Amino acid sequence: MKGYRWMAWGVVLVLGMMILGHAALAGDAKLEVTPAKAVLSPALIAKQPFQFKGSGFAPKEMIIVEMIVPEGVTVKTVPKGEKVGLAVGSTDEKGNFAIKMHPLSTLNWIFQVAWTPNMKPDLKKMSPLPPGKYRIEATGMQSGNVAKADFELLKPHPKRRNRPNVK
Amino acid sequence: MKSQWFRFMVMVLGVAVFALAFSAGDARAAAKEVAFLDLSDFTGPVAGLALPNSLGIEDYFKYINSKGGVDGVKIKYIGVDTRYDVARALSAYKRYSRDPKVVAIEIVSTPVGKMLKALTRKKKMVITVPGDGEFQAHPGNFFPWGPTYQDAFAATIDWILKDWKKKGKKGKPSIAVLSWDNAYGREMLRGGKEYAEKKGVKVLPSELFPPGTLKTDVYLTRLAKSGANYVYVGGVDPTQTNVMRDATRLGLTKDIQFISDYWGPSSLGISVHPKALEGMVIVSFFLRGPEFQNQPLVQRLWKTYQKKPIKDMNEGYGMGVSQGITFVNALKDAIKRVGVDKLNREELYKSFQNMTGLSRDGIVGPCAYSPTSRRGSEVVKFYKVTNGKIVPITGWVKTPDAVALHKW
Repeated sequence: MKGYRWMAWGVVLVLGMMILGHAALAGDAKLEVTPAKAVLSPALIAKQPFQFKGSGFAPKEMIIVEMIVPEGVTVKTVPKGEKVGLAVGSTDEKGNFAIKMHPLSTLNWIFQVAWTPNMKPDLKKMSPLPPGKYRIEATGMQSGNVAKADFELLKPHPKRRNRPNVK
Repeated sequence: MKSQWFRFMVMVLGVAVFALAFSAGDARAAAKEVAFLDLSDFTGPVAGLALPNSLGIEDYFKYINSKGGVDGVKIKYIGVDTRYDVARALSAYKRYSRDPKVVAIEIVSTPVGKMLKALTRKKKMVITVPGDGEFQAHPGNFFPWGPTYQDAFAATIDWILKDWKKKGKKGKPSIAVLSWDNAYGREMLRGGKEYAEKKGVKVLPSELFPPGTLKTDVYLTRLAKSGANYVYVGGVDPTQTNVMRDATRLGLTKDIQFISDYWGPSSLGISVHPKALEGMVIVSFFLRGPEFQNQPLVQRLWKTYQKKPIKDMNEGYGMGVSQGITFVNALKDAIKRVGVDKLNREELYKSFQNMTGLSRDGIVGPCAYSPTSRRGSEVVKFYKVTNGKIVPITGWVKTPDAVALHKW
């Protein structure tokens, strides 16, 4: 029966190491959103798009940056409970990445525009994300490492026109 | 104390056995229903093409399910509106590919295909894609819907040479590509250019522009100055309509023959802009115009599930139906080989390669998938916009292998 005891301790030890190891790996991953606070303005499309910087991922792996939709917020065409992909990129040899949000993604998910048959954003039918805090999650598609951060959309200046000037 | 340890060990083993039993049960449940994930575009920039295609797939599955499914296995259609956004497509892939019921995926974007290739390289899971030749050059889990873009371009070179001769012209013509500035827009020349040069046709520098460009005068003027006799127009309509509108206004359609690739104007588009598109030639791996509208299966499905007049039916719908037929037949093959209980992604992947010669009711050519081929078919038809209608000017034409000419 002494053998069983060692076996049991062994199982507990291995499981513990696995859980702690995974937590440690996931805990190392970091994410930063720039700007962390932004007024919903046309600048977000091309001039100053959201940028996601991360570290603690596997080298040369694909990264998906997603937004967790807060309760009470709806995102055009995205079913409730689903995350919204905001950006895709890859890490370097050190497991770091810096990805800028593509204008198409900003138009689709931040401004939530409609599209004309001529493939132009229809600004008359846009319904931008409401002001508030949004949680962002970066996931390594190979390592499974996850890092989280927030950004805040601020209320637009009341006198300024905040429709994106897309030609 | 000893019995306590013994109980502890029994508990650990019990948990492990329960977990295994639970996962096995999940797999068995999955076999009664399989899912097809469609990473499409329903409301985004290319919805005009992608949505009818997706409706065709979904309606064909509804039709099969209404007859009891495939040997009792129902097909669940999961449509995701990616709005032509790579990030949304990858996010949806991450979410849905965990579900073992999802046995195949369709994507409508060449850039998404190139991205998923890196992720799914070692997976034996069917992913159908528009026409990227790379997937024929390195056969794996990606299955283009028809002949690759470069093969269609090569078939067009053959048609051009005949047309040139028919017109009594001497020497060899020059051709240029006018297309979107992205991976898709350049794909046809990877092998297509080599084929043209092999046939003595001069390929002039391409003019590439961002999707959504409304005015193409600058590009067209440069192409005319470069001496192009034929211009091959890529992009998803209304790109072709806009190009033809500008070319007509600039007076270029008299001397230059414009040819559209697969994603050019549909009957619906032509009915809206008949004058602008008059004279344009279209290369297509699926039926178009009245030939398509009179096809009995698509007519029946459209009337049953869409309940709209036939004139509202876009050719992309037939392409979707043909994809549905391929999937259903591969599913049948997999069930026949391994049975419902062992049905999984890998078996479906093997069965897709057994679909060689499968007929899709003439909507597209016979299936060419095999262990060494990823071409959805190997034939195209040429159509011409004549008096506001899409009229066939050839029968099905075998596409040359342009993929093999490129250094990958």
